[in-house]
Amino acid sequence: MNNAVEKCSLQGQDREQSIGKRLRNLFPASFHGYLIALAAIFLLNFILPRLMPGDPLQAIYGQEALVAMTPEMEAELIRQFSLDKSWWDQLQAYVLGLLQGDLGFSYYYREQVSQVIMGALPWTLLLTGLALIIATAIGLILGIESGFKRGSSLDRSLVACLMFLGGFPDFFIGILLLLIFAVSLDVLPLSGATSPYAGYEGLAYIFDILRHLALPLASMVLVQLGGIFLLTRNTMVTLLAESFILTVRAKGCPESCIKYAHAGRNSLLPVTTATGLRIPQLITGALFIEIVFSYPGVGSLLNTAIDARDYPLIQGILLIVTLTVLTTNFLVDLLYMRLDPRVRYAH
Amino acid sequence: MMLSIKDLKVSFGKTQILRGVDLNLERGDCLALVGESGAGKTTLGMAIMGLARGSATGEISFQEENLLAISKEELRDLRGRKMAMVFQNVEDALDPVQRIQDQIAEAILVHRSISAKIAGEEAAMHLNSVGLNSGKASMYPHQLSGGEKQRVLIAMALVNDPDLLILDEPTASLDALTKAEIIRLFQSAIMGRICIVITHDLSLAASLAERMAVLYAGRIMEMGRTEDLLRNPRHPYTRGLIRSYPAMTATKDLQGILGRMVHGLPGCPFHERCTQRIDICSLQVPPQLEKDGRIIACHRGGIVPLLEIENLSLAFGSHYALLDVSLSLNEGETLALVGESGSGKTTLSKVIMGLYEADRGAVVLEGRRVNKRDSAFYSRVQMIFQNPKESVSHRMNVLDAVQEPLQVQKIGSHEARHRRVKEVLGLVELPVDDDFLKRYPHELSGGEVQRVAIARAIALGPKLLIADEPTSALDPSVQAKILKLLMDLQDKMGLAMLLITHDIALARKVSDRMAVMHKGRIVEEGATNEILINPQHAYTRRLVDCASGRYEIENGEIVIMEEPVALEKYC
Amino acid sequence: MHINPRREISHDPLAKIGLLMLAIITLMAIFAPLLSNYSPHDYTGKIFSPPGMDHPLGTDSMGQDIWARLLYGARTSLLVAGAVALLSSSLSVLVGATAALAGGLYERFCMRVVDAMISLPTIIVMILVAAYLRPSLPLLILLISAFSWPGGARIIRSQVLSLKERMHINAARTFGAGKRHIILKHIIPDLSPIISALMMQDARRAVFMEAGLAFLGVSDPMVISWGKMMNQALAFTYLDVWQWWLVPTGLALSATLVAISFLSFSLETAIDPRLIKEKTVRQDGNDALN
Repeated sequence: MNNAVEKCSLQGQDREQSIGKRLRNLFPASFHGYLIALAAIFLLNFILPRLMPGDPLQAIYGQEALVAMTPEMEAELIRQFSLDKSWWDQLQAYVLGLLQGDLGFSYYYREQVSQVIMGALPWTLLLTGLALIIATAIGLILGIESGFKRGSSLDRSLVACLMFLGGFPDFFIGILLLLIFAVSLDVLPLSGATSPYAGYEGLAYIFDILRHLALPLASMVLVQLGGIFLLTRNTMVTLLAESFILTVRAKGCPESCIKYAHAGRNSLLPVTTATGLRIPQLITGALFIEIVFSYPGVGSLLNTAIDARDYPLIQGILLIVTLTVLTTNFLVDLLYMRLDPRVRYAH
Repeated sequence: MMLSIKDLKVSFGKTQILRGVDLNLERGDCLALVGESGAGKTTLGMAIMGLARGSATGEISFQEENLLAISKEELRDLRGRKMAMVFQNVEDALDPVQRIQDQIAEAILVHRSISAKIAGEEAAMHLNSVGLNSGKASMYPHQLSGGEKQRVLIAMALVNDPDLLILDEPTASLDALTKAEIIRLFQSAIMGRICIVITHDLSLAASLAERMAVLYAGRIMEMGRTEDLLRNPRHPYTRGLIRSYPAMTATKDLQGILGRMVHGLPGCPFHERCTQRIDICSLQVPPQLEKDGRIIACHRGGIVPLLEIENLSLAFGSHYALLDVSLSLNEGETLALVGESGSGKTTLSKVIMGLYEADRGAVVLEGRRVNKRDSAFYSRVQMIFQNPKESVSHRMNVLDAVQEPLQVQKIGSHEARHRRVKEVLGLVELPVDDDFLKRYPHELSGGEVQRVAIARAIALGPKLLIADEPTSALDPSVQAKILKLLMDLQDKMGLAMLLITHDIALARKVSDRMAVMHKGRIVEEGATNEILINPQHAYTRRLVDCASGRYEIENGEIVIMEEPVALEKYC
Repeated sequence: MHINPRREISHDPLAKIGLLMLAIITLMAIFAPLLSNYSPHDYTGKIFSPPGMDHPLGTDSMGQDIWARLLYGARTSLLVAGAVALLSSSLSVLVGATAALAGGLYERFCMRVVDAMISLPTIIVMILVAAYLRPSLPLLILLISAFSWPGGARIIRSQVLSLKERMHINAARTFGAGKRHIILKHIIPDLSPIISALMMQDARRAVFMEAGLAFLGVSDPMVISWGKMMNQALAFTYLDVWQWWLVPTGLALSATLVAISFLSFSLETAIDPRLIKEKTVRQDGNDALN
């Protein structure tokens, strides 16, 4: 037995890793992919208007805007964009401006783009964030329970139901909910995030927000739920057939422990990855839902901007949204690294 | 502390995997459960633990409780606490996202309400006791080697000091060196518990368990002391299993068992592959009967002795050619009769065949004393001789030669005999076209004529073939082929063979048992590998040493060297 | 793993429903002129009229027949779906397979491009580009395809990489098979289930994108699109007209998406190896033995 002990301790000796390797292990491999994507968006934003034929100011603001502008504004804008200088100077000005948080001037709202967006962003984050959390939580739990009792009537009906639901485009579900609850039944408000001019304070204010949030949130959750549920369920089914579950059962672990501590915990891994891939969908969903419910988030803002051909605003929104998506993806990747020890302690 | 299984049947869907298993184990017993894959070994282990799929009937009585009758909750409580199992697939047997220590601690916490901290300390202690240092405790499964993972699984199983421990192929995924270490670990782990080791590895069974049960298609075929079973298997399936297993001490070439395992056959599950089956075998399931500490499930009581020679003596004048010779040859077995020229080997074969009449003693075939050699006898016992060109008449062509015994015994019509000739020629791998059938012995090679002689001998479908120096007149390369052919025929037709030869090296390769004759007496008899590794009689030792080249010629005499010598010569 | 797309579909009841639905929608789109009394561009002069003998689904805010517009809208969706599926999967195969087979700097470059494109939220970028370019339908198809192919390329590349090392390819090489033979007889057959699955996914995404973009107002004004219809209808929720304008259009769009989803789901086992394990686990009897 002593020989065995000696042999074993010899094997584990090179656990020391260099500092550089440790640092590299902290960041997910996708990091430079994100940086490249970010750079690409910045460049696209810069190049696109300047590639259009004709007057760059017209390209940036569009024909309609130009007609509406006064000559003073025009001169001011030309100075701001350094349109009278060389491309390289323009690029410098652009990058400098970005670093300072200057995203341009919205002609429709007659404000700095960054101001306009910051007014709308919190609402969108509230909606999307809550939707993600709720959908993930419900999807996970339903998926675990369903996967554990595979083939039961609960499982079969859930799968059929959610597969059907998942086929509907998000905006249509929003529309349906709007029509049923707001128009026909008149139970919940038709639009907006708060009741205007109502002057609510404190708890009443929060309650008002929730009432307005209910339908948009429900639409988004319903749309996301299907995917998360199905993925969790399928992962559970394959996990439960694996050898380590047999070991766990042989230990005498009760059902709840097997379901959550073991199989459930393991199914978090593919679900996390999928969530990362799902975030763009989430954003598009929010976009459409906000339009349907006239919810004053970034989505509605984009809609208005497109209708009004307010290009700086459009670009600004797209930039912010892309930045948010990339950041979230990055965070999800970090989370995955924490969750999966095989990645963290790679041989 | 008792485990008692009565008539356990497990079926899954339409297949019945366990067809009535009976077992009794006391505390401290260690039983090896062996058999081919698909026999139901793992299912038995899982059924005891309550983890088997499908439905189970019968009784599994563990510490006075019927495990099949208690509730799922009670069963779950026993699992991991009073009974534990270590599974075969080590690679994926641990949860990849939890640390080792936590997984072991979980086994403790599920059954005892103590603090997590204490459980962690106990877990670390158990890890130490299986030879893993505490540094490993905070690691994840993918950071450990196969052998280390196996140790973790053992520690996990032992953590609550279970009374019953089931090991399923515990060393299957380990290399030879790791395997040896783990076996030592197991030997200390199983003390004081009831242990069932499921394996197809007979040497593992030998090193861990003192009792062994052989499972085939869901029924126990033979059960007894491991050592006894391995040295002297009494069930035809057990013998076949041992013959097909490469052990360091085995000398005979590997032989398989014809056919494959099929579940759900009526009667004895092995009957279609058994060479000594009778009618009842396909109708009734044989009961497990005990005899001399061995439990055997066979309608014929195990391997039956085919030929028994009792105290045969034959004298030519004052010289005893055979003196008090007693021998027994079992069904489906090859017995090599070795000795120098003039030891009486050939005389014995002639007495058996009735060419000589013994003065005293008896020849017993299939339990009945043979008084005269009639056609019934010759259809059961046939012989092939040393010199093929002489044993086949040069006036007969192939067809005539092979069908001669059929003609003599008046079996079948002309066409039927013709067909049988072609059939047996096919069995000995000779051409069956008309051109070949018309050939004469002088037109064939030595090997081909010997094959014709063999074909002739098996035309009547005998159970015993006596082969008197069948290859000494042939070239060595042909010799190998003929012997392989004889082994093949043994497999296919269930032939028993009495091989008479002076070549010990040859006997070593093809025989299960050996009898050594010297001056008309049998001086030693037993399993071939045992006799050759450890010869008891002085004459046998001399024969073996000479055959191995361990001798010198001094003054015209053979002198055996005392010290063991490096085998330079090819022996 | 041996997946036969036809067999997968014929065994899965949901897939069969999807196929049936898709067939019905396609037939309705093809025979649109026969099935409707009016051309979708006709202004009948009667706005917001409820469903009746003349107009099965009534008329919209401009007096156009909703039923006719619904049928012709199907043509747009299906056309976009088919074209994008073909174009996008061809690009995926082209880039993915060549990257895997060629290796080296070319492969690294391609995969960097693919990774970057996958991280971008495509619809956002598409909105940006479409807002500038105001694309016609063909241009829209190109645009959607341009953003759909990276996902498939990654999957194809990993599949071809593992294929390269498979024994049957090496065996073919030992008979002296050239690259052409290997590609035709080994790689393409092995890839076909994956390609079918990818095409289904691309088709679904394309229908969604086209409708979504039209909903946002970014589309070809000459073309009838369900998304645009829904956008227009949404402005009039205070009238009863939503019942026969908004809802049927939405249902039509959903039906198309659901049909493709059902089909796509049954083919997904080709690209998700974990789902295959589920199917083999379902074959009872085998794992119970020993």
